[in-house]
Amino acid sequence: MKPDLARIRESKRVFRKELAERPIAEKLRMLDALRQRTLAIRRASNSDATKKAIVQETPQLPDNK
Amino acid sequence: MGIKEVIEILNRMQADGVIERYAIGGAVGATFYLEPIATLDVDVFVEFHAEPGSAIVSPKPIFEYLRDRGCTMEGEYIVIAGWPVQFLPAGSPLLQEALAASVEKDVDGTAARVFTPEHIAAIALDTGRAKDKARVLQFIEAGVLDLERLQEIIARHGLTGHWQQFERQFLK
Repeated sequence: MKPDLARIRESKRVFRKELAERPIAEKLRMLDALRQRTLAIRRASNSDATKKAIVQETPQLPDNK
Repeated sequence: MGIKEVIEILNRMQADGVIERYAIGGAVGATFYLEPIATLDVDVFVEFHAEPGSAIVSPKPIFEYLRDRGCTMEGEYIVIAGWPVQFLPAGSPLLQEALAASVEKDVDGTAARVFTPEHIAAIALDTGRAKDKARVLQFIEAGVLDLERLQEIIARHGLTGHWQQFERQFLK
């Protein structure tokens, strides 16, 4: 099966746009959650390679989307 | 605990006269305009006051104020509401202009001062790390920049070379 990269790219673009348009307070709460998750991953690993790999994550949509 | 509490404490510091004006920059500032950008700290730009009887500006009053309210120091950061916050001096003409032009945003009833997207992009161009260039691209792709205003800022602060290099690398 050949992946439809154009469709995937467009889907990502729409997802990012939708996240950007969310209320600021909600986006800041996502940052709080992302930070907790990043710290948990860091705590679970002593590997320098893992630390360097964590630069940016894509937040998940809340369940109430 | 969260960023909203950090903003509330910044507003209280301003009301109490510890800082004159502040503006949030960095990844948290960018998140006001883009999708959330994961980060581990909050960058707050301020103008430091000179201590009484001294011409030397110092962040000491900020640290003392926050320490008295239970905040702790972690290296160059001060931990507020669980977030490491870095107070950065608006020490260049670009940062001074960004601070003066910062805008107020409403966060669920709490006012927050944030750099404009054009100033965040110009500062990122000036800083020039890979992640900063990625941020400029995010701003452009999201269509949130007033490009004419950005070009004015770039020209005013001698960043035309940085912009041309960025254009060659990513836009052409």
